[in-house]
Amino acid sequence: MKVTIDGKNIEAKLGETILEAAKRVGVEIPTLCYSEAFGGQGVCRMCMVEVKEGERKRLVASCTYPITREIEVQTNTPELQEIRRNIITLLYRRAPNSDYMKKLYQEYEGISVEPVDPAEKCIMCRLCVKACEKVGAYAISAIMRGTEKRIATPFDEASPNCIGCSACADICPTGAIIVKKENGKQEIWHKTFEMSRCENCGKYFSTLPVNEHVKEQLDIEMSGENLCPNCRRKKLASDIAEVSVNR
Amino acid sequence: MNQLEVKPNHETRMILVCCGTGCLANGSAAVYEALCDALQGNDKIQVETFAKATGCNGLCEKGPLVKILPDDITYCKVKAEDVPEIVEKTLQQGELVQRLLYRDPATKKYYKSHHETDFYKKQKKVALRNIGEIDPTSVQDYLDRGGYQALEKALKEMSPAEVIEEVLKSGLRGRGGGGFPTGLKWKACAAVDNPPRYVICNGDEGDPGAFMDRSILEGDPHTVLEGMIICAYAIGASNGFIYVRDEYDLAVKNLTKAIENARECGYLGKNILGSDLSFDIELVRGGGAFVCGEETALINSIQGNVGEPWDKYVFPTERGLWGQPTVINNVETWANIPVIIKDGAANFASIGTEGSKGTKVFSLVGKVVNTGLVEVPMGTTLREIIYDIGGGIQNGRQFKAVQTGGPSGGCIPENLLDLPVDFDTLTEAGSMMGSGGMIVMDDRTCMVEVARYYVNFLAEESCGKCVPCREGISLLLETLTRICEGKGKPEDLDLLESMSSTIQQAALCALGRTAPNPVLSTLKYFRDEYLEHINNHRCPAGICKELTEFYIDAELCTGCGRCRRNCPADAISGEKKKAHTIDPAKCIKCGDCINNCKFQAVKVK
Repeated sequence: MKVTIDGKNIEAKLGETILEAAKRVGVEIPTLCYSEAFGGQGVCRMCMVEVKEGERKRLVASCTYPITREIEVQTNTPELQEIRRNIITLLYRRAPNSDYMKKLYQEYEGISVEPVDPAEKCIMCRLCVKACEKVGAYAISAIMRGTEKRIATPFDEASPNCIGCSACADICPTGAIIVKKENGKQEIWHKTFEMSRCENCGKYFSTLPVNEHVKEQLDIEMSGENLCPNCRRKKLASDIAEVSVNR
Repeated sequence: MNQLEVKPNHETRMILVCCGTGCLANGSAAVYEALCDALQGNDKIQVETFAKATGCNGLCEKGPLVKILPDDITYCKVKAEDVPEIVEKTLQQGELVQRLLYRDPATKKYYKSHHETDFYKKQKKVALRNIGEIDPTSVQDYLDRGGYQALEKALKEMSPAEVIEEVLKSGLRGRGGGGFPTGLKWKACAAVDNPPRYVICNGDEGDPGAFMDRSILEGDPHTVLEGMIICAYAIGASNGFIYVRDEYDLAVKNLTKAIENARECGYLGKNILGSDLSFDIELVRGGGAFVCGEETALINSIQGNVGEPWDKYVFPTERGLWGQPTVINNVETWANIPVIIKDGAANFASIGTEGSKGTKVFSLVGKVVNTGLVEVPMGTTLREIIYDIGGGIQNGRQFKAVQTGGPSGGCIPENLLDLPVDFDTLTEAGSMMGSGGMIVMDDRTCMVEVARYYVNFLAEESCGKCVPCREGISLLLETLTRICEGKGKPEDLDLLESMSSTIQQAALCALGRTAPNPVLSTLKYFRDEYLEHINNHRCPAGICKELTEFYIDAELCTGCGRCRRNCPADAISGEKKKAHTIDPAKCIKCGDCINNCKFQAVKVK
């Protein structure tokens, strides 16, 4: 399927999104809510592009628009630049306490606006929700609606589903999810977890329910010592070295 | 003139009591019961007489309405206490009860039948053809008016492709707001070779002041079922869903009964009317989110997910409910289908304009004399709807604007009143057809405040998924509120326009993309009013309290004392028959004086 993106002729696969095709040929389209692991969400609308099909021109979200016929795509028209500047302005207004948004606000030369809540960091990209789903926990989601929408556990209480893996916090681009770690305990989303300790280096590295969850998900019995990722890597390396020496 | 010509050879007489929502709220259930009691065992009535509770007749302003057939008498604002007089005078003695007849507010003339009034004369009932004429809980009533004949014709005389062709030829466009050609939708769905296919009726009417779909579902549920069954035959669907607002209690009740009755009569279920078609319909009760009127959000809601839309680059006709090909149409669209099939596409297409065929139902509300439900041919002008049918503006005030298309529609000014109403003209004027809400506003309306009101509604009802809609509306609301409070800046108008444009172009669904309409249309037609607020700190309509000061024009004031007596803050003083004055320090700017002055003597500074 022949598609042009910013004048570049490319061969696209049927059904792949414009964003995927553009990434493959090295055309950068800005995104905030996109992760390759989850695919397009169509939430932030930063990736809007102009699509021309025959005589018809329109703006679409490149992360969700599947290529099913020959189209011409423009990714950086003045119209799109204004949309992106406005989206960054809106998100900076929402989350002025985020360094990530402060930087983007400067980069995109955002309009002067009054921040809503000076302490807010979350931009509602929902990557945390997607990560939680992918882990298989389904502990958090986007609740309420309209301008009240926010990320939370059900009823803002400790969720029985949360395993404290902190995948949500790890993927959050703005550092909006608070994880407290102290004295072998980890607190996240109103819940405190006992940490498991690396048998080798003694470092706390994971919550107990995570170990259980991994066993359940992979349906395997963990063997050997309980090691942190770092020590596990070292041990694996030394095991391999030992094997190759013995050969 | 009061003597009735009771035709002696008529065997029965029918009394229809309007039990639409408006009339019920005004006590029509008690009227109906009183009538039933009065008729029971009454041997003084010569002609055998029955009473029936019907759906909404449309003239809600004058409800509860009672119609007597075949004499064609309409009584307005009937109370249970009036029943003995109706029984005695009209039913027993054949006389009219004049005080209950419709009285034209302008000519003061009484009308025997509602058919003679201007309110009904300019209307054309297609989708509403049965409502007010039948008992919605009786399948026999529906059959008596030609119900299910279209289905029989489709199943026995037409192929599925012919049914689709007929709908295409009728030119019917979706009545829910989008205006997409219904026939094309069906054709696209039938062409996707991936059964099962589904049919959905969108009854999630959520616009403030709109009750078109509600009246149809309550007053004629079988027409919706018949439309859906015909579609199921045309596209090869196995299951149908009616998504109805949970607040529509009577609609849910009447629909449930209608589905049960349709199953009993063989219109739903296996091998409908002996054909190969097997199809059933399930009722899904919505959770009360405005955004679920958007079709993908509605589908998500039926599936048990949060009611959030998704990007519709692949239409639901290809990937809809549970990923399967789905036709989703609005209640009013479904109500038109049996008429098109039974009477033919040509008949239907003869009504309306080039691009918009048939009729459109509007709920006419606001500062208009005859509020109610009206159905007019496409192409009727706004002036005809508001002045001829609606009877003009209440209390002799000035027309200012009419808001069409629900909260994300736009406000249309006086110089566009001769606009023929159809899908395309309204969009060109910066508003939209939407599902048919029509709110009339008078000169006591601040257009900045109106924009703020609608944006506030949308801020609460946006699903909050995409950034332009959630955050953009929040910024629009903040800016408009600031202007209404007198803290607006000249550059605010540029900000409103730039952000509105981003929301229109980048939002995920139609709710977001149309959300800036109230702002942009008022900026386009009433820009001066925004500038008055910002530059001169003055609200010309006297609505925004921070920017309003009332005074009394001594030339016009007759000293009648009405404003002084009614002022809740005791801010008005003056002697009888002499000009009064308002003390600005005491005035709470409630507007009671300006609203009620019969001499237009109260002014806004």
